[in-house]
Parts: sequence; C-alpha cells; structure tokens
Amino acid sequence: MTDFLLVLASGITAGSSYALMGLAMVIIYKTSGVVNFAQGEMGLISAYITFMMLDYYGFGYLATFFWAFVFALFLGALMEFAILRRAKDPSVLGLMIITIGLEMILLGLVSWKFGADPKDMPFPISPFESIELVENIYISVLEVLTIGVATAVMLILFLFFRFSKLGVAMKAVQQNPMAAKLMGISTNRVLMITWSISSFVGALAALLIAPANMGPFMMWDPLLKGFAAAVMGGMTSLGGAVVGAYIVGIIENFFGTFISIEFKSVVAFSIIVIMLCVKPSGLFGRHYVKKV
Amino acid sequence: MDMKRDYYEDIELFPGWVEKFWFFLLLVFLGAFPFISNNYLIYVANFMAINIIVALGLNILVGYTGQISLGHAGFFAIGAFATFTLMQKASFPFLLALPAAALISAIFGFLIALPALRLEGPYLAIATLGFGLTITQVIGMIDLFGGRTGLHAPELLIGPWELKTDLDLYFLLVPLTIGLIIIARNLTRTRVGRAFIAIRDAEIAAETMGVNLIFYKTLAFAISAFYTGLAGGLYAFVLRFIEPEIFGLYMSIVFLTMVVVGGLGSIFGSIAGAMLLSWLDLELRNILDIPYLGNWLKDLSREYFSITGVSNIQYIVFGGILVLIMLFEPHGIYGFWIRTKKYWKTWPF
Amino acid sequence: MKKLVLNCLFSITLMLGLSFSAYAGDGITDKEIHIGSWGPQTGPAAPWGTISRGSDAYFKMINKKGGINGRQIVFHHFDDGYNPARTKAGVKQLQEGETPMFAFVGGVGTSPGLAVVDYLMDAKVPWIGPATASEHWVNPPKKYLFTNYAPYYKEAMVLTKYAVETMKKKRIAVVYQNDDYGKGGLKGVRMQLEKNGMKPVLELPMEVKDTDMKPYIFKLKKADVDAVVLWISVGQAVRTIGTAKAMQLSPQFFGTSTVSDFPLMFKISKGLWKGVITASFNEPPESTSPLMMEYKEAFKQFASKDERWGTFFIAGFMFAEPLVEALKRIPHDELTRERLVLELEGLKNFQGIGAVTSYKKFDVKDPRSRQGTNAVYLTECLDNGANKKLTDWIELD
Repeated sequence: MTDFLLVLASGITAGSSYALMGLAMVIIYKTSGVVNFAQGEMGLISAYITFMMLDYYGFGYLATFFWAFVFALFLGALMEFAILRRAKDPSVLGLMIITIGLEMILLGLVSWKFGADPKDMPFPISPFESIELVENIYISVLEVLTIGVATAVMLILFLFFRFSKLGVAMKAVQQNPMAAKLMGISTNRVLMITWSISSFVGALAALLIAPANMGPFMMWDPLLKGFAAAVMGGMTSLGGAVVGAYIVGIIENFFGTFISIEFKSVVAFSIIVIMLCVKPSGLFGRHYVKKV
Repeated sequence: MDMKRDYYEDIELFPGWVEKFWFFLLLVFLGAFPFISNNYLIYVANFMAINIIVALGLNILVGYTGQISLGHAGFFAIGAFATFTLMQKASFPFLLALPAAALISAIFGFLIALPALRLEGPYLAIATLGFGLTITQVIGMIDLFGGRTGLHAPELLIGPWELKTDLDLYFLLVPLTIGLIIIARNLTRTRVGRAFIAIRDAEIAAETMGVNLIFYKTLAFAISAFYTGLAGGLYAFVLRFIEPEIFGLYMSIVFLTMVVVGGLGSIFGSIAGAMLLSWLDLELRNILDIPYLGNWLKDLSREYFSITGVSNIQYIVFGGILVLIMLFEPHGIYGFWIRTKKYWKTWPF
Repeated sequence: MKKLVLNCLFSITLMLGLSFSAYAGDGITDKEIHIGSWGPQTGPAAPWGTISRGSDAYFKMINKKGGINGRQIVFHHFDDGYNPARTKAGVKQLQEGETPMFAFVGGVGTSPGLAVVDYLMDAKVPWIGPATASEHWVNPPKKYLFTNYAPYYKEAMVLTKYAVETMKKKRIAVVYQNDDYGKGGLKGVRMQLEKNGMKPVLELPMEVKDTDMKPYIFKLKKADVDAVVLWISVGQAVRTIGTAKAMQLSPQFFGTSTVSDFPLMFKISKGLWKGVITASFNEPPESTSPLMMEYKEAFKQFASKDERWGTFFIAGFMFAEPLVEALKRIPHDELTRERLVLELEGLKNFQGIGAVTSYKKFDVKDPRSRQGTNAVYLTECLDNGANKKLTDWIELD
C-alpha cells in the first residue's frame, strides 16, 4: 500500500509540471488554433532572465520574479504581435513551422548568451529538501510548490474563462472569430493577451523546473509531455489538459516502476495512441462535426 | 497560346521543347557535377538526394492528402535498419534488400494509418510523434539491429560492381532520385493523386464523390512510408553507420519543415525545400568562417554574448530563415517560384 | 526567344559558379601542419565541445613557443552538434579541401566517431586521442587510430573494485545511460563483481531525455542498495542524487570520469555532490604540477573570457599530448604520416597530465598496440568541489 501511494505521489508531482506546460499550450491552441512548439523555449528564456538577474546582478527574489513575469507577459505579446500576426494567409501547418522557427531562435539565443554548461539557479526553496507526507512518503518542497501552483493556475484560469469579460471574449473568439469581431471584440487584442497569459504560465513551469536542473535543453521533455497531456485531455479543454497531465505522470511512474523502466519515457505516447483510437478528440475534447 | 486543348497535353511529362531543353541541361549538369567538384560536395549532393526522396514521400502525405506526420524519422529508421539487417543477417543482395526494407516501412505506414484514420491536426501529430519515438526505442532493444551500439555498413554490391565511394553512391542516387521524382509526379496526376487531393480539400465531399477514405488514406501513409524507408536504406549507406539515436524527433521535425518550407502539394517545392534545408543543415556550421560577417559575429559575442556559445548562431539563422519564409510566403519556395515566374512573364507590365 | 537567352545565360552562370577540385596533399607545408578535430558546440551534447576548445588553446600555446620543429600548427575544429551526418560532412570538407589534414585529434562522441572512422582509416589519416572511451576504437585495433583514454568498462571495474574491496559495499546497483556509453559502464561493473563473486543488485537503464528520476530512486530504495554506480549524463546525475536526497535514500554514489568536474558538479547539485567518488583520467583542475601550471597559463592567455578551467577543457590538452610528443620527435624534413605512426608506436611510458601511455607495433590481435592506457585513478568530491585523490593510477585486466 505504501508502495502504491508512493508511486502515486511521484506520478502526481511529475504530472504537475506537465500540467503547466499543457495548460500553456491549450490556452493558445484554444483561441488561435496554433500548436505552439516555442512554448518551452519561451519559458526557458524567462527562466534564464531570472537566473541572470539573480546570479549576475544580485537582485532580490521578489523584484526578480516580478520583472521575470512582466518579461514573460511582454514576450508572449511580442511573439503574437510582431510575428504570428504578420503571417500572410496563415495555414495551421505554416503557423506551426513558424513556432518551430521561433523555438530555434530562442534556444539559440539562450545558448549563445549563457553557453552549454548547466547552471545553478538560486531559488528561495531547495529542490532537494523534502517533507514527510504520510509515513515513509517523502515529497520535495519544490514539488509541493509545483502542485500548489498548478492547482492555483488551473483554478484562476477556470474562473477567468468562466466569469471575466475578457475570458468570455476569448471563448467567443475561439468559437467564431468572425462573429466575435462583429460583436465588437478586438480579436487581435484578444489573441495577443492569450499569448501573454500562455507565456506567463510557461514561464511559471520553467521557473519551477529550473532549480533542480537548468540547462538550455531543460524544456524539451516537459514540452513534449505537456503537449501529449494536452492532446490526451482534448487540446481545447483546460481541465482536460490538467487531467491528461496527471494521467501521463501517473502512468509513466507506474509503468516505469512496475513494468519496464526502459519504455517509461515513451509509454505515455503509446497509451495516447490507444486512447485516441477510442476518442479521436481526446478525453474531454468535444468532437465537432465538420460542415461541408 | 498556353491553353491546353487535349487531356494528353495535360498529362505529358514535358509539355514543350523548353522543358525538354532544361531537363537535358539538368542531366548534363548532374552528369558533369562529380567531375568538376570534390568529394565533399558529392557527399552533400548525396545527402540532398536522400532528403529529396523523403520530402517527396512526406509531401504525398502532408501536402497532397493533408495528413500531418511528426514521426517520419521512424520510417526512415525502419528503412535503414531493415536494409542493413537483411543484407547482413539474411544475406539479401542490395537490390532486393532495399525495396524489401521500403516495403517493411510501408507496412508500418499502413499500420500507423489505421489509428490515424480518425485523427487530424494536433491529435495526429502526437500519434505519429509517439510512433517515431517508440520505434527507435524498440529498435534499440533488439540485438539483431545492433542494440544501442548500431550497425556498420555491409559491402554494397550491385551485380559485379562494389559501391564504396561517394562518387559511386552519387551515380546510384541521382538516377534513383530522378526516377522517384517522376513516379511521384505521375502519381499525383493519376486517379490516386486526385483522390488524395480531394481528401485534403474536403474529406466528406470526397467521400460522397465515391473516394474510399479508408483505402486512400492508408495508401497515402503506405506510399509515404515506402519513399521514406527507401531513403532510409540509402542514407544508411551514405553514413555507413547507423544507431537508433540518430533518428530522433529533431529529424522528424526537419523533414516536416522541408516539405512546408518547400511548398505543400508541389513536387518542385519538395525538391527545393529538401535541398535548401539539407544545405543549411550541413553548411551553417561554417557561418563563422564567412569573411567579415564571421568576425563581426565573434566581436558581437565577445561584447554582449558568450564566445563559447557562438556556434548557436546557426540555430538562430536556421530558425530565422524558417520564420521569414513562412511569414512572407505561405506556399514556401514554390510560392516564390510561381511569383517570380509570373513577374517575368508579364514583364515589364 | 527572350526566354531561351535567359535560360542559356542562367545555365552558364551555374556552370561557372562551381569551384574546381584541388589536389590532395598530406596536410603539411614547409611552415605548417594542419590538424583537424570536431566537437559539439551546439545541441544537448554541447558541454563536451569544451574539449576541442581546450585542444585549440594547447596548439596556440605550442605555436607561441615557436611551433614544432619549425612548423606552426594550424588547428581546424568544427561544430557537428553530435550529429554523425554533420561530423562526416565536416571531416570530408576538411579532408577534401585545398589542404587536407595531416592528422585528426580528439573528436567527441561514439556515433560521430563511428561515422567517420572508416573514412579516416581508408584515407590512412592518423587519428589520435578520440575523446570518447568507446571500445570500438581498438576492437579490432586500427593502424592509424591511437587512443589514450581508458575504456569505460575499465573505469567501471576500478570503481567497482574500490567499492567492494576498500569500502566493503555489499549491494551495488548500476544506473546507466541506455546507449553504448552506459552499457560500457554496465559491462565493467558486471565483470568486476563477477570476479568478487557478486552480481549487481539492480541494473537500471536511463534514457538520455528522461527528467523524472523518481521511479529509479523508488527501485533503488526497494532493493536496499548501499552503493550506486552512475553511468549517466551530468544533468541526470545531479537530478538522480537530488531526488535520492529528497526521497531519503543515501547510498554511496560512484560516477564516471564524465561527471568528475567537481567544482561544476558541486555547484549545480547545490552541494549534494560532496562525498561522491568518481574515476578520473587527467589531473584535477587545481593540480599544481609544473605541466598543469603551464597549461593554466595557456588557458589564461588563449581561452575566451567566458571559458571555464574545468576537467573537459583540460582534457582537450590531454588528448592531444601524444600527438604533440610524437611530432616533436620527428625532424623537420622527415615528417610524414607513416613516420608519425612509427613514432607513436615508439612512445613508451609517456606521461603528460593523463595516465602513463605506451603503444606497440601494430598487431590486429592486440588491442594494447593502439590502446595507450587502461588506467584511471579515483577521487572524492569534498566541500566546494575540492577533490581528494583516493588512489594512484590503477589498471585492471
């Protein structure tokens, strides 16, 4: 029983960081239909800005985090405003390739500036200290924080989309951009804000990953897993992405622990393929019928 | 004047003498190329030829049928490993092993098409991506394929000739690539090709017109995997050494990028995209040796960035080129070509 | 008509644009020796690229002192991003260009190396000191390939022997990267434990991209291990030890030479690296031997300001030492590739900052004719990344 709980706890903690990445991807996909491969690297650059402020210039934590988040919001807006909006006759694939290009640019910038060596990110709490939840079940403080942040972000986003004017406008843009425009919603501005929020969530994820493992390639795995989680949950559903992330994390941990550790990193994808056979739009995605 | 009056005119390979002349010139150039260049450029040309084959195959899937794939490195790996294994362990001759490997790859393409039938967009992307990641993992587990250590090239014999140098491979690859281009071009203009395009443009409409969705979608996957598997088998001989880790996600992404940057649904686009990206892939590492620019970049690095990471400019340039092409020309290089052609045709108006 | 003229013009420019091929020499002129190398400066393996930058500083130092027997060394190294196709392209470009390379030195990575080894050997170009301890280089030995890096399995054997015989560890587990590198380590642990009549308690393969270490620690904890040999990458090693700490598992950790850069490891693990024992193949960064002081001077002079005086940078010197030593022994007028091979074969008990290195006359059946050394020494990480040498150079059969 302890084993079971322990592995479950591991799965949930792993799932939390996937959940943040998944959420970030879903927010953008929901409103603009773009699969954003630059998501991880947008978070990465925010994390490195944080690192630079803390380590090179010795700012305090509060000021640093504040400015890092401002930067993340600005970066998201900039991406949308300066690049994606400028695309001529955008197609879904074309936009995806643009995000892949952006991913390379951001990754290149970070590696160019900071080199390839792993870094030691200063952080108020140690990633390697742990607390005992139940008897013999330890969970690190950073992971507790990650779970807390993931839950909070999910709740806030849920409330935001449900009750705030802006959130409802975003939903409108997603469902029918033309009609939303006619109703007086500035779709461009809504898209820009969406990218900002998504970049912010991505930066949160990166900041929570960085203390334990910081290097230019730290966001690859979380991005893939986040993407997988989002697809599992249905790509258009915020709750779905979170549930998907926890499912991926838990499956990975159980499979890795009890069946085959060699296939741990790919098992999630196999499960997703099987799941997609049954539900082609993910667990919570609505399967809409295409009109001819 | 340019109007077509006959169906046969439409399906002709070379519509006029200008095209014939150009094709002849191209053949002369390709034949003369190895004798006026060095071994390195021949290697690059071989690399390009292989990527062209992959891009053709992937374009049939992505450009013509409208199905996305982020797992083509998987088919590529299957082709490579199957070719080597069939030759080494089952002592197949090369000319039999290569098509056999491509066929195995096509079977995998067919299998992956079954769950893919109902999927689209990001769902299909993640399913194919999962396939690509899993297949290299599986190959790495099996000792027959050399495990994680990989395999070395067996002797490449075609009849009495042994193909060893880049030059030998060049004379194998170029005719093969031209043949495959012509096959792909013809395929897209037959009943099958038109069915693919109909599926891409409107699945339901195509179905009501009598296009068998299941058949044609799986066929598209199989043909695409066949091309990619074939290219994989040849790639293994160009590199002369393969191991599973080579066929990673990055490779799949580059393949997809080739097709989109070249121009979806265009044979010319596949060729141009594959050539451009393979050239960038191999040549960008020399960016710091360009006179003036290289030194300027180094000074810039010293001042604001780090000199140890200066090579990462490659990524920035590569990504920048992708972004710029897609921003200004959604139809990729093919779009540029069409626009230039139009401009000159109507010049000076 | 206009079209035709345009067409012709275009094709002529195409023809003229191509360069004509150059002659193939042997990479030496009266004043210069051309040496080639490669190392990933980009991509996930980029931390290893430091090695070729280290060699660069080494050759610059030699040139400043007047070169070797009247010749300056021109060092060409390129970034391959750990992508074998690019390694092959780069090596060919160097080799087929105007002046081919006289020899290659260093060169990071098993699969990049395997992609070019046949090409280099067929062209009879010597390759000295591959910067990867793969068994493939000397199995079977190749006439033009000389290595001075003990294979991973020998390293693993020394570590395991120390764990079993000196530290009296009973339950030893291996966590290895699931590729050629990791499996080398696994093989060594198995071999040595077998000699001691034991077996690894647990063998856990890890994928390069894996970031979630909990299942590993869970299994290690279940198996009640008292020593873990880590044959994984730098980042993963830190995560593994960190996760172990968080999950209250504290066995003795052993690591390979690739995680022996203690100042870095100590820093990025936030101090957890203290107490880890690793193998090492060259003198530690803080060594004050005369040779190391000389190299450090070169580092200060020639390395860029953001370079770090770490193990990999020093390794760049180490891998090039036998080549330089052999070149020094050849008079100006007698320098050829064959002579270099002969001179290397005559290298006996040579020691720079690495282990004692000797080669023998080429013998296909004897790997030791090309494997210069099998020795490593063990060292322990102390506070702030200082190190304590635990053993002298050890070589096991």
